Parts: sequence; C-alpha cells; structure tokens
Amino acid sequence: MSENKQGSACAAVSGAAPTGRFGGRGLNVAIVVAAAVTVAGLALWGVQLSGGMAQTGMRNLDSWGLYITMFMFLVGLSAGGLIISSAPRVLGLSGFGGISKVAVWTSVCCTVLAIGFVVVDLGQPLRLWELFAYSNLSSPLMWDIVVLGTYLVLSVVYLWAMLRYEGGKGSERGLRAVSAVALVCAVLVHSVTAWIFGLQQGREMWHTALLAPWFVSSALVCGVALVLVVVIALRRTGYLQLDQRHIVQMAKLLGVFVCVDLYFFGCDLLTEAFPQSDGVEVVSMLVTGQLAPFFWVEIVGCAICVVVCFTPRLRTSPLIVTASILAIVGIFCKRVQLLVGGFQLPNLDQAVVLTSSTVTNAGGTLADAYQGLVYWPTALEFGVALGVIGLGALLLLLGLKYLPLQPTERSH
Amino acid sequence: MARYAMAIDTKRCVGCNACSMACKMTNNLPDGTWWTRVLTEGGDEVDTPAGIFPEVSMRYVTVSCQHCDNPACVKVCPVGATYKDPETGVVRQDYDKCIGCRMCMAACPYTGVRSFNWEEPGYSIDHAVGDADIAAHQKHVVEKCTFCYQRLARGETPACMDLCPARARHFGDLDDPDSEVSQLVGERSYEQLLTSEGTKPSVYYLV
Repeated sequence: MSENKQGSACAAVSGAAPTGRFGGRGLNVAIVVAAAVTVAGLALWGVQLSGGMAQTGMRNLDSWGLYITMFMFLVGLSAGGLIISSAPRVLGLSGFGGISKVAVWTSVCCTVLAIGFVVVDLGQPLRLWELFAYSNLSSPLMWDIVVLGTYLVLSVVYLWAMLRYEGGKGSERGLRAVSAVALVCAVLVHSVTAWIFGLQQGREMWHTALLAPWFVSSALVCGVALVLVVVIALRRTGYLQLDQRHIVQMAKLLGVFVCVDLYFFGCDLLTEAFPQSDGVEVVSMLVTGQLAPFFWVEIVGCAICVVVCFTPRLRTSPLIVTASILAIVGIFCKRVQLLVGGFQLPNLDQAVVLTSSTVTNAGGTLADAYQGLVYWPTALEFGVALGVIGLGALLLLLGLKYLPLQPTERSH
Repeated sequence: MARYAMAIDTKRCVGCNACSMACKMTNNLPDGTWWTRVLTEGGDEVDTPAGIFPEVSMRYVTVSCQHCDNPACVKVCPVGATYKDPETGVVRQDYDKCIGCRMCMAACPYTGVRSFNWEEPGYSIDHAVGDADIAAHQKHVVEKCTFCYQRLARGETPACMDLCPARARHFGDLDDPDSEVSQLVGERSYEQLLTSEGTKPSVYYLV
C-alpha cells in the first residue's frame, strides 16, 4: 500500500483496504450464482417468447419499457470505463494508477449487456439476421447496431492491445492510436443511442438537439461512478492496489461530470418551460407529476454526489462509493424519466375505446390510463432483466478470474 | 404513380363505428386490435361532449394510419419492414420482415394507429373472415391500416369507406385533379392531424 497524503480519514480507510487474497471460494460461488441467474433469465425469456409479450407491461401506447430503459442505461455505463482509460492515454496524461484494463473490461461487459437488452426486447429475435441482410441505413436503430458492434469489437481490441503492450510487445504509438479510435467510438455510441430518441419529432420529451451531448455527459457520470465502485471494491478484496490519490482524482472528475449533466438538465427544463406551450406539460410531469419520484431521486442524489466529490473531508472510500452509487441510481432514474416520459404524453388524447392491447390499464378512459405511470414493468420483465444482468456479472467475474487485469508497471 | 388519400367529412360522421367494424371484418383483425378507431373530441368518456349543457361541443374524429407523404415510421425501421409503396403512396408493413423492435411505434406521432400483436393472434370467430388475399396476422410483429391494399390492387376502395353509412369517407388519388378527393380537398376547408410534426398526412378531415 502506497503512502496516502489525502488526510487521516482517507488514510485510515485505504490503509485497511487490501485484506486477504482475491479469488478463491467466494469468487467461484459468485460465478456459479451469476450463471444460475443467467440461466433462470434465459428460461423466463423463453416464457416471454412462447406465451407472448402480453405478459410484459408494454402495450401499443407504451411500446417500450424496462428493457429499452436498461439498454440506454447500460450503453451509458459502458462509456466511463473506456473513456477513463483511453482519454489520458490519448492526451498523454498520467492516468489513474493502472486501472485501465479493469475499466475497459467493465465497458465490454456493459456493452454486451446493452446488446442483450435490445435482443430480449425484440418480438422476433430469430429474425435478427435481417439487420445485416436488409439494413435500412436511414434508421438510427441501424446506426446504433453498427456503432455498438464496432464499439464492442474495438473495446476488446483495445484490451488485447493493452495486454500485448504490457507483455512487452507492440509499440506505445500503436496502443495510443487504438485508444484514440476507441475514444471517438465511445462518444459516437452515446450520441447514436440518443438519436434513437432525440430524432423522433413525435415525442415532445425526446425531440431536442441537446439529447446527444446530454447522453454523453450522463454516460460519463455513471461510467466513472461504476469504475469507482468497482476499483474500490477490488482494492478492498485485494485484487489490485491503488493509491487513494487516483480515487480522489476520479471522484473530482465525477463531480465535474455530474455538474455538467445537471447543467444540461437545467437548460432542457428551461427551454421546455419558457415558451409556456406544450413543453410545460413535460416539466410539470417531471417536477410534480407522475415521474416526480424519479426526477427528485436523480436531482437530490446527484446533488449529494457533487457535495461528496468536491469536499476534501468527505472523500473517504465509503462516502465515495455511496456518492457513486447515488450517481448511478440518479442516471438510471434519468433513463426512466426519458423512456416513460416519451410515452406519458399522448399526441392524440381524445376519448377512445381501449382494449387490452392499447394499455395495461384498459378498464377506464384514456385519461385514466395516463393518470399514473402509463407503464410499469411486470414481474416477468424484472426477471428477464435480472437474468441479463446476471450474464453481465458472469462475464465480469470470469474476466476477473481468468484475464490478467491487475495493474502492472506498464499499465495506465 | 398515384398518391392515394382519404377525405373524411366530420360534418357527416355520426361516430357509429361502422368503419372500425368494416376494417376489423375485412382484414380479419385479431381480438383487441383495431386499425381504425373513432375518437370523441369532447369529454373524457367516449361519446360524451365537453362543457356544461347547453354550452356543449362534441365531434368524432376517425383515426387510422395517416399514410403520410413524409412518414416518420419508414425511415426508422431498421430492416425496411415498413415502407412506402412507390406506386400508390400507401405506407405498408411486411409482417414477414418485421423484427418486432417497435421503433416505428415510437416514431409515429399519431398515438395508437400502430398496433403490435402482443400475443398469438386470437379470434372470436372460429374461421377467418373478410378478404381471402390478406396477409396472415403474426404474433410479435407490428401492423396497421393498409388502406385495404388488397382491395386497391383489385381496383376497389377501402372497406371503411365502402361501408360508411353516413357516406362521410371519400377515397382517391391526390395526383389526379379530377378525383373526388382532389375535388373535395380543393373545395372544402379541411384539417389534418398534427401538421406541426411535418409528416404530411394523406388523410384530410373536412370541416
């Protein structure tokens, strides 16, 4: 453990950090549990496909749900790791104490998860091959599939290039070039994901040019927060050693990203509300309406996170982990607001006969259906989602067990 | 080349739902699926007016796919399962191609005109009804009004217009200045749904 210069509180915490050896029985048990959850998820997906998606909470008026929310969220989570490890290398800066490989591995896992969530959302997954045979290049969804695929391959190549370099093979120049391409691709993947929503003029809440940069900032927030949680946890289990200085650096960075994200939110709310036209509905839906719980959890969680990140006395490992989790939860709430909010405001709100295909709450009038949240996931959706997350956890743990991801002298 | 359109006379529409039924029977629509729906512009409940007697107002707006000239759905479909027919301007849906991603439903501004088969299509009647030459309905794909494409191909007009007892619906080619639709749109004042979305719908509501 290297000397800590961040004050006694930090030193006490990080001094106690590396306890015992990483791996062993605990890791194996975790891998088995993750595999079991994955298999259970697959079985539930089978139930969804055979019995029909009527078993989900999605209907014609709220045609996307938890799966696409998770997709947005995980694309965001995947960013941080890659950006945190590639940006310093591209810019020739010192980096964050050799956590690059772990960070990129979390990115790879999150990208696989994001793709997994799109697949479980499809009604006809066996027709996936059509995406390559009949690609319609004007569709933002098609762009996303192309960019996300490229991003996944690039992340793996980047990881491989790092391992090669650390093994004494390959040039630093080459590695830097790969990291530059990966960095550009990371920014692109968030923009394209935003465009799936932001280019749809028919949805008041989504249709804004701000959405792409905002997705990038949200991705940086939850991505960095995830890396912080993972590396602090890994340091505690003794998997790697990391100077508290690097944690503090990342925490400060997290604080900055959260501020940018909140600033974008402020800009968006003001632009929606100021003309006192249709956008007012969006603002009131968020601030006091059906989505208020998600809105306020995000705002308060992010505010607390900023305070922790910017107050030197509060930057202890437990508090940084808490702040990071608050930021991740906050961004998840942001995703829920975006997805449900897009469907919560119908363009044609005149009274109409409802059927069980229109909305889940088809008993009353159309206005009744929008009284509460128009969409809420069913137990089956939570189960399938948990299964997909299990797959990610399985990948992450297998990587930690079998891949040489610990920092070395040549790590960044 | 044609650009088929429909003009619906809101002054004649009595909200009888015969168009919805005609559509349902002709296209053998599964239970719970309605490609044409009658919206009540008035109170919260169907068939109720807005306001307090005697100051009340109510109007029916029958809504199905607007067969937009600039459709939001066509460009977002990743596999081209929803497409604009170059011969007729009709926005069509290929059930065999649809991967069920529901991107088109997110893109379409016209709430509820696109419908997904959330389970294996079920029917109240044991045998198929309506036209024999319609595509079979499939589980987990998106579908919607086709302007009765099978009938257009035979030189007929959509079922909803044929069966409208109030004769409120008119169908024809907008590119043909002598068609009934072109004439009506030229003579009468009309409204269109959500023109601010820029989709250039092909359904005109005569007022």
